Amino acid sequence: MHIPDGFLSPQTYVPAYAVCAGLWVLGMRRLRARLDEETLPWLAVMTALSFVLMMVALPLPGGSTVHAAGIGLLALSFGVWMSFLAVSLVLAMQALLFGDGGITALPVNALAMGLAGSMAAWWTWRGLRRTNESLALFAAGWVSMVLPALLVALVLGIQPAIAHDTAGRPLFFPFGPEVVLPAVLLPHALVGLGEGLLTLLGHRYLTRRRAQPA
Amino acid sequence: MNNPFADPGARRDRLALLAYALAVLAATLVHDPRWLAGGLTVTLLLAGSGAGGLLSRVLRTVLPFNLAVSMGYLMLAWLRTEPPWQTLLLLNLRVLLLTAITFLFVRRVNLFRALGFSRSLTYLLGLAYSQALTFRRAHEDFRLALVSRSPRRPGLMDRYRVSAAAASWYLEKALAAARESAQALRSRGFFDA
Repeated sequence: MHIPDGFLSPQTYVPAYAVCAGLWVLGMRRLRARLDEETLPWLAVMTALSFVLMMVALPLPGGSTVHAAGIGLLALSFGVWMSFLAVSLVLAMQALLFGDGGITALPVNALAMGLAGSMAAWWTWRGLRRTNESLALFAAGWVSMVLPALLVALVLGIQPAIAHDTAGRPLFFPFGPEVVLPAVLLPHALVGLGEGLLTLLGHRYLTRRRAQPA
Repeated sequence: MNNPFADPGARRDRLALLAYALAVLAATLVHDPRWLAGGLTVTLLLAGSGAGGLLSRVLRTVLPFNLAVSMGYLMLAWLRTEPPWQTLLLLNLRVLLLTAITFLFVRRVNLFRALGFSRSLTYLLGLAYSQALTFRRAHEDFRLALVSRSPRRPGLMDRYRVSAAAASWYLEKALAAARESAQALRSRGFFDA
């Protein structure tokens, strides 16, 4: 789902950075009240966990691989703002400390995966938990993967329309939504099943373990 | 707490962060392949004796995605009977340049020092980074363990089982690490006014 550097136009990533910076400040302010010797290590360690979950590649029949992200798990365990900040931190770490992923793509990925993905997971879980808790957790994980994929695909798909030369040739990502939407959404609908399972099992496990005294 | 602005190393790293941001912006505002190729040459010259290694790492990183995009675009251009070369050259040079600038920045600058203006942010980044390194090493150990213990190439189910075991181990390790860090912060009075 990550967009590498060089495929997003400045018309896209500059406003995305402006929006993201505002939300990072807002998120840090909201979190500061909750930041103590319990929550700070939790946020750091869950950030690292999300980072490594993105490295656990699950093989698909046919030779390709996909990976989970743990966004649903983070959102349900720590709330939307902490999840947004943790995912942003993962993306920043990947780009700036491990040289993996794009710095121009960071705000779009953070908004899509960290904010929209976390909000979608949270509200799906809130909406369904009275009906069936397991279904709510699974659906929260699935939607936290598919909605960001849809948003990322749309952002990529509009690039030829908003950034092209006088001859109409694309200057950044060259495919329109008719190509990129099915190419991105179909695999992620499948990956979302794994993310749903991870959210269901991981959330139950964490809830049980956090309830235990240290 | 030390004033990070008084530390010349921190000041240099913060200036490097600013220069990096400006270089990235410039690389996306320029649409002439000659300028992008010039930028790539300058970046490699700045890398000095590490230029070969940097270029090799950049190529290995961008190859899968760029190859897929370039082949797709080549096919699309062929169907539309358009010459694809200028677009392909521009796209690939831009991606190479941006990735090379990032890798050079990562190699040369201490990001922890550059972000030293916030104690919580530095601590959060440091803890997350050290945990990520531990997990990354463990991830490689899990992969090697599967390969070394399998007489044949591991099947799909073997790899699923190892992934599940690894995820469970990461969760256990994360819980233990969070508890240890909380105790360390409490014992050092990190949040005491």
